[in-house]
Amino acid sequence: MGFARGTRWVNAEGALHPDYPLPDLDDPVMRPFWSAAREGKLVFQRDRCAGIVHWPPKPHYWAGGELEWFEATGLGRVFSFVVAHEPFLPAFQHLLPLILAIVETDEGPRLVSYLVDCPAETVRFGMRVEVVFKRLTSEVVLPLWRPLRDETQDL
Amino acid sequence: MDGLDRDLFERIRDRVAIVGIGHLPFAKNIGRPIADTAIEAIQLALADAGLTAEDVDGLSMYEMEATQEVTIARRLGVRDLRWWDKVAYGGGAGAATIMHAAAAIACGLASVVVCHRARNRGAKSSRPWAQERGIAQGDKSLYLPWGLIRPVDIVGLYAHRHMHVYGTKREHFGNVAIAARKHAQQNPYAMMRGRPLDMETYLGGRVISYPLTLYDCCLETDGALACVVTSAERARDLRQRAVLVHSVAQASGPNPVHLVNFNNTPDAEMTAAFCARLLWQRSLLKPADIDCAQIYDAFTPLVIMGLEDYGFCKKGEGGPFTENGRIEIGGELPVLTSGGGLSEAYVHGFNLILEGVRQIRGTAWNQVPNCQAVLVTGASPVATSAMILRAP
Repeated sequence: MGFARGTRWVNAEGALHPDYPLPDLDDPVMRPFWSAAREGKLVFQRDRCAGIVHWPPKPHYWAGGELEWFEATGLGRVFSFVVAHEPFLPAFQHLLPLILAIVETDEGPRLVSYLVDCPAETVRFGMRVEVVFKRLTSEVVLPLWRPLRDETQDL
Repeated sequence: MDGLDRDLFERIRDRVAIVGIGHLPFAKNIGRPIADTAIEAIQLALADAGLTAEDVDGLSMYEMEATQEVTIARRLGVRDLRWWDKVAYGGGAGAATIMHAAAAIACGLASVVVCHRARNRGAKSSRPWAQERGIAQGDKSLYLPWGLIRPVDIVGLYAHRHMHVYGTKREHFGNVAIAARKHAQQNPYAMMRGRPLDMETYLGGRVISYPLTLYDCCLETDGALACVVTSAERARDLRQRAVLVHSVAQASGPNPVHLVNFNNTPDAEMTAAFCARLLWQRSLLKPADIDCAQIYDAFTPLVIMGLEDYGFCKKGEGGPFTENGRIEIGGELPVLTSGGGLSEAYVHGFNLILEGVRQIRGTAWNQVPNCQAVLVTGASPVATSAMILRAP
């Protein structure tokens, strides 16, 4: 599953702000997502029989079918975006103007994220993007998206 | 909708009425805690209805208000509170406070219910998004770790997509801001009275979340508002012309996430689309029967999308619908006739309910002639509610 690519890690900008809103890693429903992100992988959950991808994920005792997690291609398109200016959360102040986006992944889930390596004026609806990972703490890695540059990776 | 639901709703439709309204003057800093202002607003609403605290036996309020029901009951002088309820999801709760009261009255659990909203949000430090600290739990873990939490960004994502897919223009959003501001000029309580807005000023607004600017955003206000709900039968003997709760609904959609709801359906419909279907199924009226609409306006694009979702035009036509004064007083469908959250006061939409009541009574500052039916809606990026008020 997945396929080899160049580096998929982006650098953090120094010390994490004390008020950074880190995700709750103790939530059993989301834990597989964050565990995989820590390894630089984007994973989703699907119904083994019906093939439906659930986002947000369901609890393991979901009655609607048999669940499994799988590694996503890490490719998607910009479904929508905004360019955020002040006033903003202190933990993100250094990132302004921040391109907040909804990325529609090739597997279907629409993820909240922000775009990196990408001037705001170059963002387009439907633009191909690939996942990259940013380490926030030893435990938390955040999936982000950047424009897909090497189109040959767009399988 | 199955037949059972329609039959059950007949117990509520036109059988419950709003009989009193009241509010304190809106302010940037009202100078008193909400546990205090709420009581005074409720007293005003009871006086308007010709009722007293001793007549009240139910309370319905927003969950985003820390005051306890028993505190309100005690300070107000309610003799024996026997039904109470708090509705969640901020601006999605407005019509639902009335809906729950109506259900309680229709079922005999309460006879006179006070619904209210008191909120001190004028101070910059009071913005909920600016209070975020620590671990993002529950649904927030799906968006807050990426910095998405300001409502302007969330609505901006819907709005920008709408512009891309349907060709909606900033001028269309501007038409909403300008209509609300125009209506506010006649409203002595409106925060933006005396500060008219034109398109040039609108288009030059400071960018908050591109493509949205300052004038696309609602105000931040301290306020306290209340209304009194009872049976239509009892309403006949009271002081004011009864305003009937004709249809009312709550909806979340099939795969809801609080605030950031882009996976609800393949088309990323907002909760308003689901609420509208239920609202019209329960109603004997249709969109063409509505004389004015108080569509939740935390941000201008919500009004345009609301016009579509509640059936006044087709999906994608909400922008052009706002042209040629159609949504201003004297137009085909005046919206936000008191100025709304954009120009009267932002109090999680409870002012929209009071304005709906004034329009049916015929006492609004921008009165729609012979107003027989009004739509009042709640916030659409969250689990929401909406209702149709009508004349008896």
